[in-house]
Amino acid sequence: MSHDLRLERLAKTFPNGTAALHDLSAEIDSGAFFSLLGSSGCGKSTVLRLIAGLDVPTHGRVVWPQGLARLGFIFQEPTLMAWASAICNVALPLELAGVPVRDARARAAEALAQVGLSGFTTALPRELSGGMQMRVSIARALVAQPQVLLMDEPFAALDELTRGRLNDDLLRLWSECRFSVIFVTHSVFEAVYLSQRILILSARPGRLLADIQNPVPSPRTPEVRLLPVFNATARDILAILEDRVTC
Amino acid sequence: MLTPLLRVILPILLCVGLLGCWEWSVAYWSIPSFVLPPPSAILAVFISDGVSLLHSAWITLGTTLMAFVLAVISGVALAVLFASSRLAEALLSPYAVTLQVTPVVAIAPLILVWVGLDRAWLAVLILAWIVAFFPVLASATAGLKAVDPNLRDLFRLYHAGFWQTLRRLQIPSSLPYLLSGIKTAGGLALVGAVVAEFAAASGNTSGLAWRILEAGNRLQIAKMFAALLLLALMGIVIYAILSVIEWLLLHRWHGDRRNNS
Ligand SMILES: Nc1ncnc2c1ncn2[C@@H]1O[C@H](COP(=O)(O)OP(=O)(O)O)[C@@H](O)[C@H]1O
Ligand SMILES: [Mg+2]
Repeated sequence: MSHDLRLERLAKTFPNGTAALHDLSAEIDSGAFFSLLGSSGCGKSTVLRLIAGLDVPTHGRVVWPQGLARLGFIFQEPTLMAWASAICNVALPLELAGVPVRDARARAAEALAQVGLSGFTTALPRELSGGMQMRVSIARALVAQPQVLLMDEPFAALDELTRGRLNDDLLRLWSECRFSVIFVTHSVFEAVYLSQRILILSARPGRLLADIQNPVPSPRTPEVRLLPVFNATARDILAILEDRVTC
Repeated sequence: MLTPLLRVILPILLCVGLLGCWEWSVAYWSIPSFVLPPPSAILAVFISDGVSLLHSAWITLGTTLMAFVLAVISGVALAVLFASSRLAEALLSPYAVTLQVTPVVAIAPLILVWVGLDRAWLAVLILAWIVAFFPVLASATAGLKAVDPNLRDLFRLYHAGFWQTLRRLQIPSSLPYLLSGIKTAGGLALVGAVVAEFAAASGNTSGLAWRILEAGNRLQIAKMFAALLLLALMGIVIYAILSVIEWLLLHRWHGDRRNNS
């Protein structure tokens, strides 16, 4: 299978001496949904930043066999411009790329509709709930039609119910638009519910503990959480994580 | 409890009452007018010397506004330079601080000699600019440092250029900081202009400060009061205008959080 992206023996040590990441290799297939799972502080965000080119690795490299893909990045916080309406926030990537304002706004409106916010185009971020802000953030990432979507614990700060809804919406968007997703999370159940493949990182400095092909069948609907295979997979992953954490 | 009407009327009543007391006390205790002139004498000065006082006020106001605009432009420009280059900040910020902590009155004679006594207005402008410049630089620097690092990364991810980042991220994001610095700078530009006029004290600068000195020398205390009143009025108007601008620019974005729908 063709792949979008290859991580070759990535390592990162920060100037202050913190070793965040150690020797991580992986191949990311195009169109796949990946989760990067690990406890807090194990270097997950660092991996995403290295992939996005926001930071440079100390060793190893990030290889794009078919050339650098269009990227979308979703942070743990909505990271919106507080002074700009939802539609202006969403249109930003297009306007930065020189798309005429009128076209950019039209496409931004479409993206907002995709995430279920068509009635909130002129709302300011502070007028929206946390979940809605995150939807704006997703719309902003989608509007530039990314080939690879990098998500850094995007739903970690949301309540359980909102998080569940956003998970399902994300799966729907992924199946419609067919970008690859690299989804960082520290929630085992979220990883098992969403992803096709799960990369498990050890505690700091992050190393690859396991690379799991998720046996849970697709399409993922809330009912798959009740399947025995769902729980078995989650249990296996927890065992891998705890095994390493305790020793 | 206070209706809007009372809010306007009560301060006016208080002011009128105080002026009345003042007028009455001066007459009652026969205070000589070179110590404390009655309000009526000050009003008389406005009628007799109003035009020349306003002319002086106009000169001081012109200096103030020019110094203010220069301070805003140069302060923001330097802050942006500092934000984009650590080296520039390390090299230049000591000089900015030195300029700030040296009393402007002490620099005045030097500047005056440099620009030439015949161009005292330029010296006054430079001195007022020096005073007003620092709060803009400091607030803009603080504002630029407070830009959300994730948003900055997002702009990098989408290959935003220098001007795009400045216009769409750095300026709007640091606006609350910047505007509070600008408000301070407006008041300080006036202070700087007046102090510089005092320091440059020559007939060449016929701003309000010069009129105050002149009136003091001649013991025309009522005229001094009139000039002081004009200065206070200018300060209030500058502050009020800048406050309105601040409100216009920020209320939608930072508006009362309790008004959330
Ligand atoms: N810029 C930085 N400088 C120094 N240390 C950092 C920096 N960024 C992250 N770290 C450290 O690197 C480790 C991994 O960070 P991160 O990738 O954010 O972990 P995670 O996202 O898995 O919680 C943490 O211990 C963190 O404190
Ligand atoms: Mg993180």
